[in-house]
Amino acid sequence: MSGDNIKIKICMGPGGIAAGGNDVIEAFKGQLTNQRINASFGEQCSLHQVGCRGLCAKDVLVEIIIDGKETIYENINPEKVPRIVKEHILGDNPVKEWIAGEDYDNFKKKQIKVVLSHCGEIDPEDMNAYIEAGGYKAAHKALTSMSPSEIVETVKTSNLRGRGGAGFPTGLKWELGLRIKSDVKYVICNGDEGDPGAFMDRSVMEGDPHSVIEGMIICAKATESHKGYIYVRAEYPLAVKRLQQAIDQCLQKGYLGKNIFDTGFDFDIRIFQGAGAFVCGEATALMRSIEGKRGMPTPKLWRSAEKGLWEKPTVLNNVETFANIPKIILNGGDWFRNLGTERSGGTKVFSLTGNIKNSGLIEVPLGISLREIIYDIGGGIEGGRSLKAVQTGGPSGGCIPAALLDIEVDYESLAKVGSIMGSGGMVVLDETNCMVNTAKFFLEFTQAESCGKCTPCRIGTKRMLEILERITNGNGKEGDIELLEDLGSHIRATSLCGLGMTAPNPVLSTIRYFRDEYEAHIKDRKCPALVCRNLITYSIIEEECTGCGACKRACPVDSIRGVRKKPHKIDPELCVKCGTCFDVCKFKAILKA
Amino acid sequence: MEKTVKLTIDGKEVQSPEGMNLMDAAELAGIHIPNLCYLKGMKGIGACRLCLIEIEGLKAPMIACNTKVREGMVVNTKTEKVQEIRKFIIDLILSMHPLDCMTCTKAGICNLQKYAYEFDLKESSFTRKKFGYPVDEANPFIKRDPDYCILCGRCVRVCKEQGTNVLEFMGRGIGSKIVTANDKPLQESECTFCGSCVDSCPVNALLEADRWRKGREWEYERINSVCLLCGNGCEITVSTKDGRVQKISSGAPAGSAEKYICAYGRFGFDCIEAETRLTSPMKKIDGELRGTTWEDALKIVADELKKAGKDAGFISAAGILNEDALTLKKLARDVVKTRNFDTTVSLYADSDSLKKSQRADIDRSDLIFLLGLNPSQWERVLPALDAAVRRRINRGAKLVVINSSETRIADVATVSLKGDEISNIKGIIKVAIEKGLKADKKLESSVKDIESTEEIEKASALFIEAKQPIIFSSPALFEAASNLSLLKGKKVIAIPLESNARGVVLMGLTTEGKTYREMLTDKMKALYVVGEVPLNKRPDTDFLIVQNSHLTGLAREADVVLPSATFLESAGTITDFMGRMKYLPEVIEPQGESKSHRDIFILLAKIMGSTIKRPTEAEVKKASNIKVKLSPVPFVKKEGLDISPQEMIESINASVINGSRLLWLKETEKTIAV
Repeated sequence: MSGDNIKIKICMGPGGIAAGGNDVIEAFKGQLTNQRINASFGEQCSLHQVGCRGLCAKDVLVEIIIDGKETIYENINPEKVPRIVKEHILGDNPVKEWIAGEDYDNFKKKQIKVVLSHCGEIDPEDMNAYIEAGGYKAAHKALTSMSPSEIVETVKTSNLRGRGGAGFPTGLKWELGLRIKSDVKYVICNGDEGDPGAFMDRSVMEGDPHSVIEGMIICAKATESHKGYIYVRAEYPLAVKRLQQAIDQCLQKGYLGKNIFDTGFDFDIRIFQGAGAFVCGEATALMRSIEGKRGMPTPKLWRSAEKGLWEKPTVLNNVETFANIPKIILNGGDWFRNLGTERSGGTKVFSLTGNIKNSGLIEVPLGISLREIIYDIGGGIEGGRSLKAVQTGGPSGGCIPAALLDIEVDYESLAKVGSIMGSGGMVVLDETNCMVNTAKFFLEFTQAESCGKCTPCRIGTKRMLEILERITNGNGKEGDIELLEDLGSHIRATSLCGLGMTAPNPVLSTIRYFRDEYEAHIKDRKCPALVCRNLITYSIIEEECTGCGACKRACPVDSIRGVRKKPHKIDPELCVKCGTCFDVCKFKAILKA
Repeated sequence: MEKTVKLTIDGKEVQSPEGMNLMDAAELAGIHIPNLCYLKGMKGIGACRLCLIEIEGLKAPMIACNTKVREGMVVNTKTEKVQEIRKFIIDLILSMHPLDCMTCTKAGICNLQKYAYEFDLKESSFTRKKFGYPVDEANPFIKRDPDYCILCGRCVRVCKEQGTNVLEFMGRGIGSKIVTANDKPLQESECTFCGSCVDSCPVNALLEADRWRKGREWEYERINSVCLLCGNGCEITVSTKDGRVQKISSGAPAGSAEKYICAYGRFGFDCIEAETRLTSPMKKIDGELRGTTWEDALKIVADELKKAGKDAGFISAAGILNEDALTLKKLARDVVKTRNFDTTVSLYADSDSLKKSQRADIDRSDLIFLLGLNPSQWERVLPALDAAVRRRINRGAKLVVINSSETRIADVATVSLKGDEISNIKGIIKVAIEKGLKADKKLESSVKDIESTEEIEKASALFIEAKQPIIFSSPALFEAASNLSLLKGKKVIAIPLESNARGVVLMGLTTEGKTYREMLTDKMKALYVVGEVPLNKRPDTDFLIVQNSHLTGLAREADVVLPSATFLESAGTITDFMGRMKYLPEVIEPQGESKSHRDIFILLAKIMGSTIKRPTEAEVKKASNIKVKLSPVPFVKKEGLDISPQEMIESINASVINGSRLLWLKETEKTIAV
């Protein structure tokens, strides 16, 4: 037993929970009770669930702080807990082999945490923890000593641009919101994060809900609004729960509701749960959804700041944008601006996924190179394979080839190479990824999520998908690539909203950089990455085959013939290309080509 | 004067009202911009993307349906770029659309067909797909075939805007579909089968259920007329082929959904050829009606009327034409020489309120009062009024409902005042005077004792603010309504239950002797009933003559039955509740030996030895030309005008309902209600 001050922080972000965070917490509770350590809210030892720490690949991450000395463990499961408690907490002797190593340090090195500064540090359900960490100081400052136009100026100076995807300067949006006069104005926080694989906003809402609320309060003051909505998809129940908890705490403390901080300023926030339509992340569709209508985008005759929700002036920003605001108010616009590039201030959160070693949630200053993200922070590609491309911006984004790895990550450079910043999805693709198949994956998503209102998006994306399907099935035709380009450029030019306009991006950018892969599929009927099932064949290399019969036994369709100890043969007519033989052969005698 | 702006469209200098969208502005200049989802009069939604045009100075093409004209704008609607886009859009739509134009009922008026032709698309350059959705054809009115649907959303918007609100999009992406709640068949939704969606559908996804192989648009003769089945007197367009009515649609110009007609008006025409249709005169022999000749029947009637003389009574429905009414009055007063001639109007209106009703354009109003009225699309009580009011509200007008009974339309009202109507109106007037509206001293003193409430103040504030208020009132409350209107010199209109109520009153068909009700009870020596009246049992009379197009319950108990033409078979005029004269041509010839009311009256007079001349248009106009001026009147709710509107409208249309597919609707509604 060493001292009275023991803190155990367990990562309970989306990655942590998925890796079994709940079980780890229970295991700690059990152990601490067994060892009669006064745990949880106790005097000696406290157990904290904290938000996402980023390195999801090594979850569950557990931090143990004893007398200020921090130790981080990675890949913790309930079985490892007794030893940690026994040796580290009781014996003051950390379990060296489980301590997070080089990867964790490298992962952290180039990151700057602004939005995520509290994630992984404080208990998101504990308002005092947020306040102790400096929370609500910015809101207090904004409400007590700043005029709306001063706030707007600060945000303008910061060069903060909308983190939802389009990158519209936040300060300008607020300025317009302030200028328009109306009896009712709304502030909406867009938490309808829907990109496959993205969990930036989710991590913030779950890991640091108060920062979002604080950002909204400041926005309300800046735009003279008194009503706010947070639109969260119902598939994020924990985010909904924590946000609601945070709102209730604020109401109780007088940080929301009437007469906030005794300044006479009123602001209320309501949570609106979306039903999970991707298109509801689009501002006009989102507002229709809150109005109780079907979430369908409407043509933008007006900016939302002029006529938005219920035709009233509305300032809509996404979760990450709002979470940046308190820091900007506290540290000044210049501080934030200087973190980023000339045209894009600050940092950006990305969910780094795909075939990368250190997958997880990262926050980097804008202007960092893609190479630094992939190799320094991400630790490079798993298994020493070579990088092929990085897909950014979610289903609306594009693929950036390995050759362009040195570009700076900001709104303009990404657009120049045919992709977008989007809300911060970053999928790493290596030589085992087929680019045609990747494009197909994203298009499957967008065409299914199209609201069906405008013709090009509704029918056009489906027709594109059909062409991609036939190419990956080995039925591609001469001219299909040109047809895809044609369709893509038309859909981009004619769609009603951003969903349709950007839907062809994954296809167009992969054609731009990986045309040869498309051609191989169509002309040679080959998938160079050996992914598209209809385009690969399995055969047995006679010289290598020992005739052990393992493949024969494993084949689900009896397509492998041969006698023991003699080379076997695969009947290509019967083979369904499931790959089981390839996996079971110990002699590398199966050729996949 | 509306402000105008100057702009250039396709090199042509165009003047257009400020605030107009480019689609309409171009149309004014004779330039058509292709579109599939646009509905004239409604906000453009930019769904089809066909109306993309180029504006000089702007990089991306803009949608014409939702872009407003601006001074100096230079617009090009036919650049190579946009034409290519349009072709692409049509190409895409064709890839999801059947190509069976050779048998498609909509061929000829299908917009998709038109544009495919225009853009030289024989078929889609993409692989064509079909969902194979089930067709909703379980009702005899509207057939919905989603495989033809191009998801333009016109039907959804029309249905929503008129407040019926039964259609909506469902699903996402290519699987989007237009459905009722829970994708049920129409009859299991709140659909009233008004068919507005059918009129708005640019393709073959929504169609009258009975249209298969009944001729296509180019084979039809389209004749504008008026529906006489209720007090609205809606404009209709009747399509005929081979002397038969094939379809009836609303009288709005093509491409617009501005006019509503209900299921009665659209689908009731089957009754022209119903089994109960009378095609020859009948007389009662041994308690049974037998066919006879006109000569014989009229002779019998003439004898009876002569015998009865001043003790004869004439009662008529108010759904007859002005010319019929004029002739009937001459027959009764000058030939039969009785003063007993009255109409069903006396059951729900006084002649004063009808004569004094003013003319107004609901589509320009910013505030609507419904006083003592309960229009309902679902109960088909003045459904077109209900739809027009709801549409107007959806376009920004406010509604005040004043009714002592529950009304469904109050759900969409800004203010709904329950309780005694007269006190509420008085309250509104009182508050308005207090807030500065000028009023006659007499009027001011007559409202001074009323206590106002918060709701009354709200209604009054709305009235004071409004620029173009319209007050629709039940005839019984017209006096109060007209007092209110006097405060601002704005329009007040009494709404009757029958189409030509104002007309028959103007033509002088108001009794000078016994009233309608008295004639039923006072044992007339001969009673002559014209048209369909709310009467199923023979009243106590010595001799009953029924002149109607169908064998009604009453006709079965008559001594002589005279077959008359329906309103589609007879030419003439009506004067609607706003005093507008509307013309009805003879759309088809009368069935069998049936004749127009006035022809029967003229023949009868001849047999009785008198000559009645065919009334001329001048004569009708002269009778219509009356000058009225509103002045303050005592606040009274007139008694005896309280027949249930729903019962009245159903009973005067009993032959239409029972003799057409509307019967299915009645029975289905009954089943669902149980």
